[in-house]
Amino acid sequence: MQGSASLAAPGKAAAAVFAIASQLCGAAFLYLILKVDGGWQVVGLLALLGFGFYLLERLPWIGDYALASFARAPLVAMATAAVIVVAFPFVVGSNTYMLHLLIVAQLYAVLALALNFQLGSANIPNFATGASYGIGAYVSALLAINFGISFWLTLPVAALAATLFGFIIGIPSMRTRDTYLALVTIAFGVVVQQLLNNFSWTGGPNGLVGIPAPSLFGHSFADPLVIFGWKLPSQANFYYLAAALVVVAIVTAHRLHGSRIGLAWNALRADEIAAKAQGINVAWFKVLAFAVDAFLAAFAGTIYAFYVSYISPDNFTFLVSVTIMTMVIVGGMDNIFGVIVGAFMLTILPEKLRAFADYRLLFFGVVIIGFLMIRPQGLFPQRMRRYGGDL
Amino acid sequence: MTELLVQQLVNWITLGCIYALLAIGFSLIFGVLNVIHFSHGDVATTAPFISLALAQALATAVGASSPAWLVISVPAAMFAVGLIGVLLDKLVIRRFRDAPAMMALVATVALGIVIRELIRHLYPQGSNPHAFPRLVSGMAFEVSGVAISWFALLVVVLTVALVVMLFVFLRLTPLGLRIRAASEDRIVARMMGIRDARVFRATFFIASAIGATAGLLFASYAGVTRFDFGVMAGLLGFSAAVIGGLGSMPGAILGGLIIAGIEVLAQTFVPDGASYRLVFVFLLVIAVLIFRPAGLLGRTVMEKV
Repeated sequence: MQGSASLAAPGKAAAAVFAIASQLCGAAFLYLILKVDGGWQVVGLLALLGFGFYLLERLPWIGDYALASFARAPLVAMATAAVIVVAFPFVVGSNTYMLHLLIVAQLYAVLALALNFQLGSANIPNFATGASYGIGAYVSALLAINFGISFWLTLPVAALAATLFGFIIGIPSMRTRDTYLALVTIAFGVVVQQLLNNFSWTGGPNGLVGIPAPSLFGHSFADPLVIFGWKLPSQANFYYLAAALVVVAIVTAHRLHGSRIGLAWNALRADEIAAKAQGINVAWFKVLAFAVDAFLAAFAGTIYAFYVSYISPDNFTFLVSVTIMTMVIVGGMDNIFGVIVGAFMLTILPEKLRAFADYRLLFFGVVIIGFLMIRPQGLFPQRMRRYGGDL
Repeated sequence: MTELLVQQLVNWITLGCIYALLAIGFSLIFGVLNVIHFSHGDVATTAPFISLALAQALATAVGASSPAWLVISVPAAMFAVGLIGVLLDKLVIRRFRDAPAMMALVATVALGIVIRELIRHLYPQGSNPHAFPRLVSGMAFEVSGVAISWFALLVVVLTVALVVMLFVFLRLTPLGLRIRAASEDRIVARMMGIRDARVFRATFFIASAIGATAGLLFASYAGVTRFDFGVMAGLLGFSAAVIGGLGSMPGAILGGLIIAGIEVLAQTFVPDGASYRLVFVFLLVIAVLIFRPAGLLGRTVMEKV
């Protein structure tokens, strides 16, 4: 374990400096790509990003060094990350469009992390994440509109409802696999979306409007956020809420990855029969993966519903599920950091391609296909597990 | 009551044939490449557009518009779509044949987006629905008071002819034999001196041309075509192929008939069934896969340890 990193074992101070500098660079890049508006500037930044990944690929010690320094100075790294996340809205200021993009990107990051439990850890296809997301959004919205229940109470209820749904989809997964299982989840996704589209009590194709803004300690989330005399637009409320959810999702993912459950999922991915022979309850862990996915997705759905205060079945189609799936694959399966980067990129990129106006979707499709051909392992491929090794 | 029954029976057969043609493409490609070609529905949807454009071009070239141009353009569109299939295979799909199944799925979904957007941009006013006339009009004969249209007859005859031709091709020609060998085991087939590049080309041409027929017939059945018809066509055709058992031709036909059957049943007997038809279709898909995880006629592959 020590040997592999010996070349790049940084000292404590060097590690801390590197952790801070690299995160600041990342944040600056994110800010720039959110800020620029012209087609060529976007292309330039993308080229820069591509060059960065090329360097990372060519000089693998950079990646090792980064990993080692983050592991060496975890507190510094986490504190920097926290400061950056908290300070970002202040830097962005009154640019609500940038904040909006960030909120959506964060929610997608949660969805991608949720799907990562299945697709990444256990290699179970699931095209119904969009449906779990929708169930979360609709359950909480219906409760809030019809019964006036507060946001904070609908959050767990929506999560429970979606988890139940996750268990229901999980059951056929005990019998089917691969393409057949993919179709089962597609079918569940379409059924849920079509039902939302047709029931009268879900508002049909028109969806639900007028979802009340949540409030906390008497502060309504629809009001601008005032901190120490700084006045932030009302989106900042949801930005912090979504950031908190991302943190919850990361911690959950990290803890699960380190637990016996995560190990069992990885065993499933490596070889199902071998896992069974090791005494792993394959069926249970598969169903569990679906349930965890649905649980987290419902949280994201609830926040989304209250944020935009308007939801319709169009927000939760098959293509949304495919997008989430693409985020996981592009980012790097079973790599928490990679999945988040994938979610941010695939949320922000189509928006920035507005410079290409009507050709945006076409460009997006071409980028995805090209990416899958050039770098099928994703931006940040999964790392070998360190079974109890230090670092 | 009998009139309604006969009418719905005709609808069922027509739609079932169209779905079966779509499913055959999915099944054929999966059998040979082990890849789900999710954009197959979109490839099929290019056919009515190509045929409309050709008919238009013919009309301007000759200087007189006539329904005959459309009929002439149909085989040309089928051929063109077959070539498109070959091109897509060469450019994109072939590269994913050894990748994990999900990778290929996502890539072909993205490919579907690209095809849809290309239709939208290349065809004049591609975002709007375009009327697509019946290829043949008029009533052929009557069965217990219900007139059977020539169109329904054409769909059935064309489907049966294509299926028979495909069967003969796969069973009795050397190329068909090679395709079957490659779908059995690609590596062994290679060792026997079968060039798999040729097999892929042939498979994609045939599957796409058959899909094009389905796309043309569907546009003609619905009377209209739109750039995003491919999404649903793809999902329904894929479902039909899967519940029949991927890689099985009879299964694909059976699956198409079943999916069309439940759709027609839902529309006829369930109040407001038309808007719930997809719910019924996909609930059936789930039910079939729970009880027959490898599809109705699919081979259950025993896993060797």
